[in-house]
Amino acid sequence: MRTYLFPFVAGCAAWLSVAAGPARAAYGPAPKYAVAALPGALRENAHAVVRRHEETLLVKSVSRTVETVRRAVTVLDEAGARWATELVYYSQLNSISYFRGSVYDAEGRLLRQLRPADIHDISLSDGFSLASDARGRVADLSQPSYPYTVEFEYEVVSDNPLFYSTWRPQPVEQLSVEQASFRVLMPTGLALRYQELHLPAGAAQARHTQGSQEVYEWQVHDLAAREEEPDGPSVADVTPAVLTAPTQFEVEGHAGQLSSWADLSRWTYELNAGRDALPPALQARMAALVQGETDERARIRKVYEFLQTTTRYVSIQLGLGGWQTFPAASVAANGYGDCKALTNYCKALLGAAGITAHAALVRAGSDEQDIRTDFPSSQFNHVVLCVPLVKSARPDTVWLECTSQSNPFGYMGGFTGNRHALLLLPQGGRLIATPRYGATENRRERLADVYLDAQGNATATLRTLRTGLEYDAVATLPSLDLPEQKKHISSRLPLPNFTLTKVALRPTPPGAAVPGLTESLSLTLPALAPPSGKRVFLTPNLLSRLSAPAASVGERQTDLWLDHALTQTDTVRLHVPASLRPEQLPAPVQLSTQFGTYSSQLQTLPDGTIQYIRRLQLPRTRFARTDYPAYLEFRRKISAADKAQLVLLKTDA
Amino acid sequence: MITRVAPASWRGALAGLVLCFPVLAWAQEVPVRFGKLDAQEAAQLLARPAPDSAAAEVICDFGQSTIKGGQDGFELRFERTARLLIRRRPGYEHATVRVVLYHDPKNGSREQIQQLKGITYNLTGKELSKDLLRTEAVFSRKLNDRLDEYAFTLPNVREGSILEFTYAIRSPFLFNLQDWQFQQAIPVRWSEYRVQIPSFYRYKEMTRSYWPFAVNTSGAAQYTTTYREKTQDSYGATNASSTDKAYQISTQALTRRWVQQDIPAFRPEPFLTTEHDYLSRVDFELERIQFDPNRDPQFVVSSWAQIEKELLEKEEFGQYLQQNSPLASAAAALRSIPDPAARAAAARQLVLQAVGYSGSASLYARATPKRVLETRQGNAAEINLLLVRLLREAGLEAQPLLLSTRNHGRIQTELPVLSQFNYVAAHVRLPGNQELVLDATDPTLPPELLPENCLNDQGRLLGSAGRWVALAPSAPNLRYTHARLTLEATGTLQGTVRQEYAGYAASEHRQPVAALRQQWQQAHPDWQIEKAEVVATDLTRPVALTLAARLPGAEATAATLYVRPTAQLGLPANPFRHPDRLYPVDMASPQRLEYMVELTLPEGYAATELPAAATLALPNEGGRFVFSVSQPTAQTLAITSRLHLAKTHYSAEEYQALRELYARALAKMAEPIVVQRQ
Repeated sequence: MRTYLFPFVAGCAAWLSVAAGPARAAYGPAPKYAVAALPGALRENAHAVVRRHEETLLVKSVSRTVETVRRAVTVLDEAGARWATELVYYSQLNSISYFRGSVYDAEGRLLRQLRPADIHDISLSDGFSLASDARGRVADLSQPSYPYTVEFEYEVVSDNPLFYSTWRPQPVEQLSVEQASFRVLMPTGLALRYQELHLPAGAAQARHTQGSQEVYEWQVHDLAAREEEPDGPSVADVTPAVLTAPTQFEVEGHAGQLSSWADLSRWTYELNAGRDALPPALQARMAALVQGETDERARIRKVYEFLQTTTRYVSIQLGLGGWQTFPAASVAANGYGDCKALTNYCKALLGAAGITAHAALVRAGSDEQDIRTDFPSSQFNHVVLCVPLVKSARPDTVWLECTSQSNPFGYMGGFTGNRHALLLLPQGGRLIATPRYGATENRRERLADVYLDAQGNATATLRTLRTGLEYDAVATLPSLDLPEQKKHISSRLPLPNFTLTKVALRPTPPGAAVPGLTESLSLTLPALAPPSGKRVFLTPNLLSRLSAPAASVGERQTDLWLDHALTQTDTVRLHVPASLRPEQLPAPVQLSTQFGTYSSQLQTLPDGTIQYIRRLQLPRTRFARTDYPAYLEFRRKISAADKAQLVLLKTDA
Repeated sequence: MITRVAPASWRGALAGLVLCFPVLAWAQEVPVRFGKLDAQEAAQLLARPAPDSAAAEVICDFGQSTIKGGQDGFELRFERTARLLIRRRPGYEHATVRVVLYHDPKNGSREQIQQLKGITYNLTGKELSKDLLRTEAVFSRKLNDRLDEYAFTLPNVREGSILEFTYAIRSPFLFNLQDWQFQQAIPVRWSEYRVQIPSFYRYKEMTRSYWPFAVNTSGAAQYTTTYREKTQDSYGATNASSTDKAYQISTQALTRRWVQQDIPAFRPEPFLTTEHDYLSRVDFELERIQFDPNRDPQFVVSSWAQIEKELLEKEEFGQYLQQNSPLASAAAALRSIPDPAARAAAARQLVLQAVGYSGSASLYARATPKRVLETRQGNAAEINLLLVRLLREAGLEAQPLLLSTRNHGRIQTELPVLSQFNYVAAHVRLPGNQELVLDATDPTLPPELLPENCLNDQGRLLGSAGRWVALAPSAPNLRYTHARLTLEATGTLQGTVRQEYAGYAASEHRQPVAALRQQWQQAHPDWQIEKAEVVATDLTRPVALTLAARLPGAEATAATLYVRPTAQLGLPANPFRHPDRLYPVDMASPQRLEYMVELTLPEGYAATELPAAATLALPNEGGRFVFSVSQPTAQTLAITSRLHLAKTHYSAEEYQALRELYARALAKMAEPIVVQRQ
């Protein structure tokens, strides 16, 4: 605090000199957070400014922590108004000891304080869970005019010290930070583990002892607002943060160490151990199911198919149940369970079939970054099953997603692929990589036949194969009924004017390295290329136009993250009436860069058909920010080539 | 919400009805009996083809409501039994059922779910297995102060499972006669609802449906029930030892029965108000309680006058309107503004500055005006009733105007029922038969525009001159692009683009220049913006974003250039994407899309082919498209394009023409101009 006392006081003084006048009463609380005191640099590009953010984690014991937060935010405009609302989470294992709030006007005068009646208690159930104890208290201090400052203070006592705080004072774009601090108070004899990320110099304070407590402290100040950039890390990935984690903890009597991934693996394994007993009849059924099947993969597949046809996912998240599985016998009886229960059950089924499998913790989500592999801590939200193939010549693994009734065998996809998972083993497991899906796996291959008539109306057939992560976007299509399929496909086709007349979907037969779906469509395209005088114009790249990223204002700040690898191949055959012949064919384009390769080409076939072939390959790579202009150039050239236009001349005109 | 009638008021009246009649059962056979499915019937159900290849279907959904005597009063009894068939895995979600129950936070009385049972049937060969719902699979959670949710899920659900569940709800809230929704997100083979109401209660019905009723009948039945009350000792006190006294009551009852058969799954379409307006359903509102036909009813809600009287007596409406607010003197000071419309706008401005909208539409004020002004936040009623009050302080004739927002659903004007409304605005009568409808929840709108969500047909004006007031949009949603562009010999377009958003489009775009620039850039990724400016922050004027921008062409010059200025300035996709339409199109405001492009050709080039002018019109003045290209000088072209949808409602029959108008307009605007080197 010492460091920031000066500017803070100076700010108040400045305000006093501006606003002091006869109208102001000589009593009442001193103004706080006057907006005039804000340095201009913090207002730039910001919708809100964190004036003061003080977070304290008090570790009372291995089994209890107390988190205290006080955060004052000046809301500058409507887009910053989300900061005027605070939500404090609680559940069976986390309780709120207090929750207070105040709001100040632009001059820093107190407008009002939260009353208990202003705080609403809400269920935070995700809407699909059958049961969840997640609840929140929420308060809204938003005001009709800007700027104003809200201040929230709350304390949460947690009996789940598996999770310590993560301090991230600048989590999103267009938010600046005047000052923020984080303190962790540890009881003597209990060590804190922490990881500092992107901290400016001088942020970490000297560790000191205060009574019987060891105090760790970090401070940052004057962090200018950031802007999210396309194809780059999120703001939370580049701003200061301190992650903390326990070395020892105890949740509802389950004690654990946590200094390595092996420790976390062992504790989680033990918490869930002994819950895999199956009814004898079911055990016998599994043994019979795989009897005579010698191929290791085929044996696993049979059990997985049994799981998929006889169970479904139902989320129940109550207390320790968030981490501990329901017994396998309960899934056997009810035919449903959450991710832990279904994974545990599948593991038990495989066991009964003589196959060893391990549960593996993962941070799932197609938008989620991988866990921080260099900081062992509880960073996971999902569990999958990892089945090592023992008979395979080289190390090989089958990964099973046990919560889906339609997920292709062995496929992790964008939800759990391309990241790390923690194997749960009695002796303590390690992190291993889940399957990688790169440009070879993520393919979109399209063949289009377009039949144009002399009036410019067209019909077309499209056949599109999507595999790997490209498949993810269409994975649920076959499960929809036909009218819904049409609706989904129609809203995705980037055509101005069409009617979908036929839809057929064919999944790639099982056994392929990655799953795929072939979509065959018939369309009518009225006025696709109406004659204009004696010419007809048509962009042969009907469906795969890739536009360049929007030009950014100012210099690129963050590195270039090209995480979504893909290969696109398009063949378009234009069947035109004999009365039309091409006046000019756009020149072929060939681009080969470190960011990827692109080619497009048009040619007239002997039968008069005009054939367009386009190929784009983007690998999964990352580059320094200085490479961004070259990347932009690459994308602009693709965008220009994708729009190239074919001109047909009427020979009978 | 209607307040309960105090038991004491009807106890005496009942005495005349206490007679004895034999109890009559429901005359009609029930369409489904819980737990009575056998293997043969299951096999028949499974053999039928799934309608529309649906993943699940409702075989039968059957509900009954009646009123029964209970302890010290009457209560509603609702019973529901449903049978579903799960055909494919995506249908599994229908194995989880959620029931919402109401309770009174003040006196603690609550609705209760009872006799909950469920069965999953699975047919293997000729063997029909049954798995029973376990009570540990029933969970409750609190949704808010008045509502709890009970959720349960059936066990062992697979493809081909037939599910049954049944439950009853006992409710002391006689205003809450359970509504019934016939149509669902999955096809329904049979949906039936029966209601039996003894003559001393009367409910208003609101049925809406795009599908025919297979049965819609009324009848009369003998009705008998028993109610108990504690006897009092000679001191007027009840105690544990006192015995209950039972009364048997018999009277006539109204019976109602509705059936819908083979209803397809409900699929939301674009441009609907709310699903509620399109789903087949019946809703109820308590209208009258009268135990003795020779005396006045205990409770009546049957006329607008009655509703108004009641609203005005309510603490959360009329009393709120009566309370003084700290803004009163500021409002009174507005009397110095001579023009009443300007004065009304100034009063609205007072409210806008003092209170922000919490985003919750409401007919009732939950806090006092004083508290609303302290917190500087309010719901729609808190804000607009305050506005009514301030308009009156300012010397204007103002009344509350009740309305239903678009996402709350359409009003049925013939039914004087309060639950149809969820919002209140302010109505001002001006001299010379003029009127104003004002709202102070959205500071981005000028005073004469109501929020789009309020543009829902009609609102009900309170006060002595109570009547319906049309809520028609007073401005369109207009997007106007005016560009002055120079074409270069490479095909590059360069110049100024003035993008105007007027009427309702302006409200969405009252944003800082940086945000507008970013939006435009995202919609026009190929353009390079050199400069962006926004003029006019005045609410009465359109938002105008002026850009200096450039659309790069080829690297080399070309002898022939093809330019599509309107298309290059950005055409929307056809909003009417889907070829078929079942429900009418309902938009809040008329849509207008206009372009005016002045194009200067490169030196030494001339336009050799111009798209032909076109005019297209919808029948009955429903809309129009006008396109033309003119050549004011040899070196310049002027392109004008206007697409107007004049109406806000189009029937499903008009849909094809509407879609076609858009399609042809878009194709026309994309036609190229051919420019050649001379």
